[in-house]
Amino acid sequence: MSFQIAGKTAGSIMILEAACMSTGLLMSIIYGEDLRPFLYSIGILLLLGLPLYKIGKRSKDKYSVKGGFITVGLTWLVLSAFGALPFLFDGHFGNYINCFFEAVSGFTTTGSTVLSDIEPLSKGMLWWRSFTHFIGGMGVLVLVNAILPTAKDKSHHLLKAEIPGPTSDKLVPKLSDTSKILYGMYIALTLIMVLCLLLSGIGLYDALNISVATAGTGGFAVKNLSIAGYYNIAAEYIISIFMFLFSINFALYFLMLTGKVKQALKSEELHFFLGLVFAAILVITIKITNIYGLADAFRYALFTVASVVSTTGFSNIDYNNWPALCEVVIIILMLCGACAGSTGGGVKSARLVILFKTLRQEVAQYIHPRAVNVVRYDGKVLQEKTVNSVLRFFFIYTVIVFSALLLVSLDGFDFRTNFSAVMTCINNVGPGFGAVGPAENFSALSGLSKIVLSFSMLIGRLEIYPIIILFTPSAWRKD
Amino acid sequence: MRITIVGGGKVGYTIAENLANEKHDITVVEAKASVIEKINEELDVLCIKGNGASVAVLKEAGVEKTDIFIATTSRDEVNMIACLTAKSLGAKYTIARIRDFDYTDEIDLLTHELKIDLAINPESATAASISRLMRFPDAADVETFYHGRIELVGFRAHDDDFFTERSLGAVGERLTNEPVLFCAVEHKGITSIPNGSTVIHSGDKVYMIGATENISKFFAKIGRNTRKVKNVFIIGGGRVATYLSKQLIKAGTDVKIIEQNYDTCVSLTEMLPSAIIISGDGTDQNLLDLENVSKYDCFLSLTGRDEDNIIAALYAKQQGAKNAIAKVNRQNYLRIVDSLEIDSIVSPKLITAYGIIRTVRGMLNSHGSQMLSLYKIADGEAEAMEFVVSRSTKHLGTPLKDIRMRPGVLLALIIRNGVPIIPEGMDCLKAGDNIIVVSKGHQILDINDIYDD
Repeated sequence: MSFQIAGKTAGSIMILEAACMSTGLLMSIIYGEDLRPFLYSIGILLLLGLPLYKIGKRSKDKYSVKGGFITVGLTWLVLSAFGALPFLFDGHFGNYINCFFEAVSGFTTTGSTVLSDIEPLSKGMLWWRSFTHFIGGMGVLVLVNAILPTAKDKSHHLLKAEIPGPTSDKLVPKLSDTSKILYGMYIALTLIMVLCLLLSGIGLYDALNISVATAGTGGFAVKNLSIAGYYNIAAEYIISIFMFLFSINFALYFLMLTGKVKQALKSEELHFFLGLVFAAILVITIKITNIYGLADAFRYALFTVASVVSTTGFSNIDYNNWPALCEVVIIILMLCGACAGSTGGGVKSARLVILFKTLRQEVAQYIHPRAVNVVRYDGKVLQEKTVNSVLRFFFIYTVIVFSALLLVSLDGFDFRTNFSAVMTCINNVGPGFGAVGPAENFSALSGLSKIVLSFSMLIGRLEIYPIIILFTPSAWRKD
Repeated sequence: MRITIVGGGKVGYTIAENLANEKHDITVVEAKASVIEKINEELDVLCIKGNGASVAVLKEAGVEKTDIFIATTSRDEVNMIACLTAKSLGAKYTIARIRDFDYTDEIDLLTHELKIDLAINPESATAASISRLMRFPDAADVETFYHGRIELVGFRAHDDDFFTERSLGAVGERLTNEPVLFCAVEHKGITSIPNGSTVIHSGDKVYMIGATENISKFFAKIGRNTRKVKNVFIIGGGRVATYLSKQLIKAGTDVKIIEQNYDTCVSLTEMLPSAIIISGDGTDQNLLDLENVSKYDCFLSLTGRDEDNIIAALYAKQQGAKNAIAKVNRQNYLRIVDSLEIDSIVSPKLITAYGIIRTVRGMLNSHGSQMLSLYKIADGEAEAMEFVVSRSTKHLGTPLKDIRMRPGVLLALIIRNGVPIIPEGMDCLKAGDNIIVVSKGHQILDINDIYDD
């Protein structure tokens, strides 16, 4: 990994980010607001980005596996560090650590905020918050791959690192076509959602914001009460459904579009995911019926399950005071997260399916010690390498959760707050329980905790390794 | 174009690599997981794991929409069944690698019955390539165009050659009697298309194009060996050796083959009655000395092991064999061998791969100007190809001096009514001409690609 190619990557990401930021500028122009936060930020991005890109352009290095991972990690750090600038210039967010937390929370599609009152923010700033979800949801390198011709770069590694899941398969032979198809479906679904919301009576600006935030499974809202602030039951159902849709593997949509509906419906991950979702809705509905009555209980349960399992983090009710059983179910949903190849976070259903199957195989091995067993997934035998990497992933994930928990606990909040804060961040959900519950925010936490949680979010979004490798000295050596 | 390749070995990989860079949609079907992983990491293609002859796997690979289906596994039978299956599922054009000796005589019947559009035999193609090399023993590469009447020859420049250490512009007059053209120069591993100011240094590999007789005259002039090869010493009695020996014996050349496996020796004796077949280890230097390797015009090492072939060829050369050719399949050895004393190397896998790529390129362009042949020269750094000029070609009749060519592209030869012309400023293209173009760094798929406009 040479510094030249790192420069080229950082430079091109900064230019791309400037382009994305100009949509915020546009919003501010439309609503006649103060343009300076965006103008300054775009100026800084271009001033630094263009020369970096020029220097790096001469580099003829290609992306290796190692280089690919470093590139991904670096891209996301650069993206977040500079994405925080508009917040810094805006002034509502306080110091840079707060702004960085907010930006990371946006790009990683977490949706945890440091603001207790978001309604005074300018429309441009609110849009930029929501739009970071959209950029981060499908992935910025996938976008780069879709729009730039990179035929000769072995950039499959990059996409592997950015598209979540234990294995990554291309949809069509060419990588750039795969990226284009993914973004095409992403944008199409988002537009359909905007239309549905408009029909339900939500205004255009809010519909756009909610849709891009749902598409990325982010969770930044434009009202303090999140979705509950609209008092619009139809919209709540629409958003619930789209949260589910965006947490399903996009490869399945591609299969359906190409007429292979049967094959798509056979996906074991989908079965597991749907099973989990139904069970969770059922349990929560039963538990909270005596508080709200059946109709409302179902609506709250559906929305909350959709919001948590898709790792979006919108809320239509403050579930902080629900029975303890519901809390545990919600924590389990956070951990499980969405499907592989979706825009959601979490460990991913695919990994859990593999883990459970490995467990079953292990037990079978005890019963018949000499039996030959393999783990099958979607009818195909999984390679031992894949199984092992899933096991390792889960271990490292656990280690990181507890390390982060240790550091966050220094602040002196109760265990419920600390644990749910870490879980909600590493799984990119948004709200937790206690002091970081749906009606609360992360502003009370110390600077250290915010940094720890920011990195937890990045680690969660990029599935650990791209961030870890950035801090491994041997990765930066020339050999 | 959608192309499906069954088998991700050396041949499959080379084809996939080249065609993927030409922006085709490539799907590779391969049974071995480790091979899939390598291809997935290195090439922008879609990989499907499974047996390429199975209907379910081929369907998963989307074979019904495939334009070209290429079966290059190591087993002939799998290739044949794969092609048959693919064709019945809807693949438009099928290519199979068929190499077994037992099938070669009935290849026409087989391909017809199995609806295989093109059968490629790597070993017989290699044999043909070796026999071309033996016509110019000092050349490292020999490729032919225009029904074998035009040749492209690559050889090393020595310091006593009259054309070294000065610019080609100054050398020009001495080439007018026998019109030939330097069309590519490889200097210290970097290939370039020469112009008047290019200087050829001793040790460079140069590529020259011209009519066969003119090339021979040129070689005589610079004092290189153009004597006919009278006897050949071969180690390794595999398929290439058998195909080649048949041709050589027919042409009256003496052949001696050393083969380790006794049973193979027996069947070789049956097939090649006039050859001397010796059972023994071809890498055993005592045996080579005993069999008088130093007296032979040409030494060929064609065993299945690249390393043995290289060492044996080096030894033979050291002992005084006039010309040594080694079979080397592993692509990463090719560059190393280039720096050794061995005169030429042949690689059946690369020959096969380039043969298939040539076919694919030719099919791409069946509506425009037709590509008749394509060769990769200088380790694949440059390409030489033959086209037929058609009415759709641009700038017909315009003097070449008024046309801007793309940099790195050379119009090397125009063949008009069977007469080769080395193009100069006043010449122009006419419909019906055959032309040979040498290009570095561009994919020339159509004649019109050579113009810079």
